[in-house]
Amino acid sequence: MPDIKITPLGAGQDVGRSCILVSIGGKNIMLDCGMHMGYNDDRRFPDFSYITQNGRLTEFLDCVIISHFHLDHCGALPYMSEMVGYDGPIYMTHPTKAICPILLEDFRKITVDKKGETNFFTSQMIKDCMKKVVPLNLHQTVQVDEELEIKAYYAGHVLGAAMVQIKVGLESVVYTGDYNMTPDRHLGAAWIDKCRPDILISESTYATTIRDSKRCRERDFLKKVHETVERGGKVLIPVFALGRAQELCILLETFWERMNLKAPIYFSTGLTEKANHYYKLFITWTNQKIRKTFVQRNMFEFKHIKAFDRSYADNPGPMVVFATPGMLHAGQSLQIFKKWAGNEKNMVIMPGYCVQGTVGHKILNGQKKLEMEGRATLDVKLQVEYMSFSAHADAKGIMQLIRMAEPRNMLLVHGEAKKMEFLKDKIEQEFSISCYMPANGETTTIVTNPSVPVDISLNLLKREMALGGPLPDAKRPRTMHGTLIMKDNSLRLVSPEQALKELGLSEHQLRFTCRVQLHDPHSDTDTLGRIYTHLKSVLKSYSIQHVPDGTVIVESIVIKVTSSAEEPNLKVILLSWSYQDEELGSFLSTLLKKGLPS
Amino acid sequence: MMDSECLSLLPAVCLVLADPKQSPPDDTSLEKLLDWFKALHSQSNGQVLLQHQPCLLEFISSVCTSKTTDPAILSFTLNLTGLLAATTQGFHLLDEGGLLACVFEREAWGVCDLWEDASVRSGWLQGLLNMLKHQQALDFMCGNGLIKVILQLQNDRSLFVACLANQLLVHILNFLTSSNMTNESDVVGSSESSLRPDCVLVSSEIMNAVVEVLSSEDHPQVLQGLRLLSLVLSQCGEPIRSTLWKDVLVPLEVLVNRGSESLIQTLITVLEAAVRTPLLSQSEHKVEELLEAMLGDGNRKECFQCAALIVKLEKCPEVLKRKAMDIIMFPLQCVSTQPQAEKEINVVLKEQLSQKASCISLLMQSLSSLAQLAHAKYLFEDISIHSITSSVVLLLRMCSGHCPSSLLHINTFTHLIGCCKVQRCGLDTLGALSVYEENLDLRMNVFGVLLDYLQSPDSHATVLKKTFQAVKRWIVCSPFPDLLQFISHDLFPVLEKRMCDLRWEVRDSTLEFITQLTAALNDNSGFTEALHTSGMVSVLLSSLADAEGYVRASAVAAVREAVTASFHQTVLVSNSKLLEEALVQMMAILSQDTEGFPRRAVVQTFTSWLKGSHLVTALESSLSSVLSLGGNDFDWEVKMHTLELAEVLMEKTLTCCPYAVQNFGSSEETRFTQALIKFKDFGLFDLLFNSLFDCDRPVCERACALLVKLRTLTAETADLDHSVLVLNVCGNRWGDEVQRRYLNKQQAKASVCVTNGVTGSDDGMDCGLYCIKDISLPKILQILDLDDMQRMLMLSSDHVVNSPRSLMEDILSAAQQSEENIVDCY
Repeated sequence: MPDIKITPLGAGQDVGRSCILVSIGGKNIMLDCGMHMGYNDDRRFPDFSYITQNGRLTEFLDCVIISHFHLDHCGALPYMSEMVGYDGPIYMTHPTKAICPILLEDFRKITVDKKGETNFFTSQMIKDCMKKVVPLNLHQTVQVDEELEIKAYYAGHVLGAAMVQIKVGLESVVYTGDYNMTPDRHLGAAWIDKCRPDILISESTYATTIRDSKRCRERDFLKKVHETVERGGKVLIPVFALGRAQELCILLETFWERMNLKAPIYFSTGLTEKANHYYKLFITWTNQKIRKTFVQRNMFEFKHIKAFDRSYADNPGPMVVFATPGMLHAGQSLQIFKKWAGNEKNMVIMPGYCVQGTVGHKILNGQKKLEMEGRATLDVKLQVEYMSFSAHADAKGIMQLIRMAEPRNMLLVHGEAKKMEFLKDKIEQEFSISCYMPANGETTTIVTNPSVPVDISLNLLKREMALGGPLPDAKRPRTMHGTLIMKDNSLRLVSPEQALKELGLSEHQLRFTCRVQLHDPHSDTDTLGRIYTHLKSVLKSYSIQHVPDGTVIVESIVIKVTSSAEEPNLKVILLSWSYQDEELGSFLSTLLKKGLPS
Repeated sequence: MMDSECLSLLPAVCLVLADPKQSPPDDTSLEKLLDWFKALHSQSNGQVLLQHQPCLLEFISSVCTSKTTDPAILSFTLNLTGLLAATTQGFHLLDEGGLLACVFEREAWGVCDLWEDASVRSGWLQGLLNMLKHQQALDFMCGNGLIKVILQLQNDRSLFVACLANQLLVHILNFLTSSNMTNESDVVGSSESSLRPDCVLVSSEIMNAVVEVLSSEDHPQVLQGLRLLSLVLSQCGEPIRSTLWKDVLVPLEVLVNRGSESLIQTLITVLEAAVRTPLLSQSEHKVEELLEAMLGDGNRKECFQCAALIVKLEKCPEVLKRKAMDIIMFPLQCVSTQPQAEKEINVVLKEQLSQKASCISLLMQSLSSLAQLAHAKYLFEDISIHSITSSVVLLLRMCSGHCPSSLLHINTFTHLIGCCKVQRCGLDTLGALSVYEENLDLRMNVFGVLLDYLQSPDSHATVLKKTFQAVKRWIVCSPFPDLLQFISHDLFPVLEKRMCDLRWEVRDSTLEFITQLTAALNDNSGFTEALHTSGMVSVLLSSLADAEGYVRASAVAAVREAVTASFHQTVLVSNSKLLEEALVQMMAILSQDTEGFPRRAVVQTFTSWLKGSHLVTALESSLSSVLSLGGNDFDWEVKMHTLELAEVLMEKTLTCCPYAVQNFGSSEETRFTQALIKFKDFGLFDLLFNSLFDCDRPVCERACALLVKLRTLTAETADLDHSVLVLNVCGNRWGDEVQRRYLNKQQAKASVCVTNGVTGSDDGMDCGLYCIKDISLPKILQILDLDDMQRMLMLSSDHVVNSPRSLMEDILSAAQQSEENIVDCY
């Protein structure tokens, strides 16, 4: 039986780095190629030696598909393509292709700055890798080769994020990447066709959560910022250049406008223009509201948000500053944090996840004394808030997607094992489909039942129609008999006669015979007559013939009676039938074994 | 030395980790904690740790007895226990009271379903792997029947666990030999009997299991068995290697002859490992026979890798080698020419060549094998390089839709048109073939097909990139005069067109190609002249305004090489004009470009020009702007490059500068003062001091190093005229910092004065506090405690704090945090 094999090298029962291998119809596809930011050695990248030991990834993989620009989904890509070596196609959407190198470059800069850092990709490698990328448009079917095709669907989550359907023949897999089923300030909700894939691979970050509405979180955020600014405090929001930052900027900009607030809002120099450039460029990927109002007012051209200069940090009075990087581990955000940490009027809002070892991680865990360079201690008196605005589907959203796509099987990735377990049970109960949750390195195999297309001969169709019955209808499957010819990679169903003719074969008939003994005092001819009468009464809808040569014929079944001279009362009834009437033949032999009615 | 603060935190950390009510810490924390223990162990502090930290024993024991342990914590514990038991003292401490047996008792974890978790099985194996450093560990494993469990795990459903089990088995086999064989450790033919009897039992158990597995019908099991076999071949010594080989030879032959498609790859890996061992040279080990059998009748597409392996063997029967070469060449010949002799054996391959997917795959294997051989400049014996190259050229032509009429009947032609995979592979091979001098007369054919690819509107961006690479290889390898015509008449017009391609990838690859070519041929006056007279330079200049940042950066590099090349040659009329124009545009990029790459490239260009001595005077007028713009850039890498430029400028000026030191008669001191005045005019000090207080550590570090260098030089120069080197410290950020430090120092001095009751000081400065606007450079360098700053910067952690103490504090504080921060993406 054909099957689909799925092996996560990352994201199997964890939220580390996504890298999932899919083997479908003889094709091997890598879904996402992420890195784990929590490590600073080889452990940050997936171990590609599990795919092929000789390092020849190009020979093994038919393509790589990247769902979106977050580093836990694309961070290992230059390592894989330029350092391990992969020359084949890499697919991602246009916005992802544009934004991905910016984030990779950002991360490279942070990493290479570390002491003793080796085995990391260079700027040139990022560029060379991006040159191998083939951009995807939404809903456009892309033919990777003759058999393999892929199609991208809108996933929400971040600008350019896509779900992707992979099809080989009639087998198909859908991979969601990260997605969001509710629209937010700048992006729309994920959507997919009722494509009934053999398996749907879905993220499950919030598998057990029904998240409070995003509006509530937004209100909470604005309230906290407002309160701090009102009491004359400063607010620091560490962000990564692209993504959440834009959403929060829109939020604050609108609020400032509405409340007529005067406190300045700043954004790290250089990044705003670049980020906004991309949002303007890919306006079609944002939500309906932004697209609609774009003509009158571009939501990404902010009136209240100004470029930040590092001298502003010392200015008196309230202010809000968006600064990079997002985990407070270097650069401007850390420098501002150090300046503001000692004042309890100030606040830092962490809008995203921080890896262990970063200042962001420490203060989120409530540490109040941080040891900085040279063992100087920094007292953290400012208020610390964690507000996750990340746009993942919650349990409700995941169920909604299953309803949309109607998969035959389900596989969960990108989530914690315990939470997955809960969702898996829920899915299996509600949809009566199998749900899998392989750990990293474990292979899930799905057996598929592909329908095989067959050409049918016109003659056979005509004959079938001549027999009456409804006209052929794609929606109403029906049984049809014929001979299947497999020749030159094609399958054709033709009438047996045509098959014989085409293949130059002569016909052979296969007949089954059977003897039934019964005691009957009458002559052989009379016994045959009694059999005829008996069958006439039992098989009312059949045509039964009593042929003068001493046989009774029902369909292809021939019945004869003989007896020996020694025992004239013991009749031997000979039955013979062809393969097509196997059922009727068996029935008659059983019937006659019971004897004839007196 | 162990960090005592870490050790004081350890008991609390153990308590947190052992508490089943606590959710385990961040997924990386446990691994990093293990890293720390490993580091301690490698400093051979393992036993000391266990003796002095009873909390560790308590922790292990409490995890073992708890049935509600989180799999991650259990896995960590298994790992840690193995590590602590790696020394004999540690082992005994853990073994006393049966704790060790309790930890590694597989059934215990099976009862509470924890064994179902792959991380637990993985931790169990890793723990044993850590522990197996001494005989007692091996005895423990054998005595408790653990070898059997390891052998079972070899077929685990988790790829990671199965792989780890194989590693452990190899480690065990190696351990057996290392602890037994001292004299004859790698002698082929030394027999298993030289092992101790108990070791023989263990090795036989493992080896019998391998033989059994290889003889089984269970496909995944066979696969794992083969993987173990190849690991043993590549990592184990004698007598294990040849003993196992002898045992598996029969089932291996069966597998090879059966030729199951899904096993081929792994069988090849086994043979690859085998040919690297002395087994190859011993006929009784039948490695060659297996290779030959694997090659079979050459009718399977899978035999290519085997053929590639055979061809590369140094000692190998000629017949076999020829057969292997035939196989490698067959698809290529079949498609591009008729094979010299129709060989019956290739019927199946021929059939496969008629189907598109397998045809492409076969050709790619054939081409990449050839490329590999060419890279090693392999000496082809029975077949001429000439004909191989011609075939590749023909194949590339077919891929772009040109087919000689004599080959039109071959239906593979239609499969190949526009096939990027074959094109890329073919171009790689063609590039590799450029190393053979025999191909010289084919050059025009080669350049012809490459030019076609460059011209074709259908060429994919990745194909064009490979084409450029091939063109470059052939140009560099070829005698030059003949090529000038080709370059200026054929190549340059195509390149100019490609620089206007809609795809940024193509524009960028073109510019990169021009840069590389110019750099490679910069001593060739003909080429440089062609570059300038063909109008290519003006196209390069216009590319500086490309819409794509990557392309602008590549254009900067191309212009840099063009300018450098022109100055290497006898002065061309257009030289200064080109430089002038380039400078204007580059300064515009540096001040206005929104992308970091082009700005970085501009600063690097100045550094490169400055390093070459021709351009120094011409650049003088721009240097101060570059230093100021680059130093204020918001991309710290631009700042780093600017500091590199500053360093080159300093070196050039202070050592053998051709322009700063014009008074040949003047003294060393005067020259130095003049150089410093020059630096001041360039704004070099502003750059260095500003960078010293930058928010990015690498920038500060570099600036600090340069300032220390300057300080040493100023200190060494006795008669330095301070008055001409006065810097204004008011109104800029670094100045404020200098003033602050200056005042601090004065304050400190004043307090010393007060205590000592002295009113004067050696340097004639009053102890009273006052603020000054102008301070001389040497003074500033003294005020700033550069050594201390440098020490701090060196001490300063990476961006992510990696100290074990910080890790432990994080684990503890996370445990106190009641609210869970939802894990998110980055």
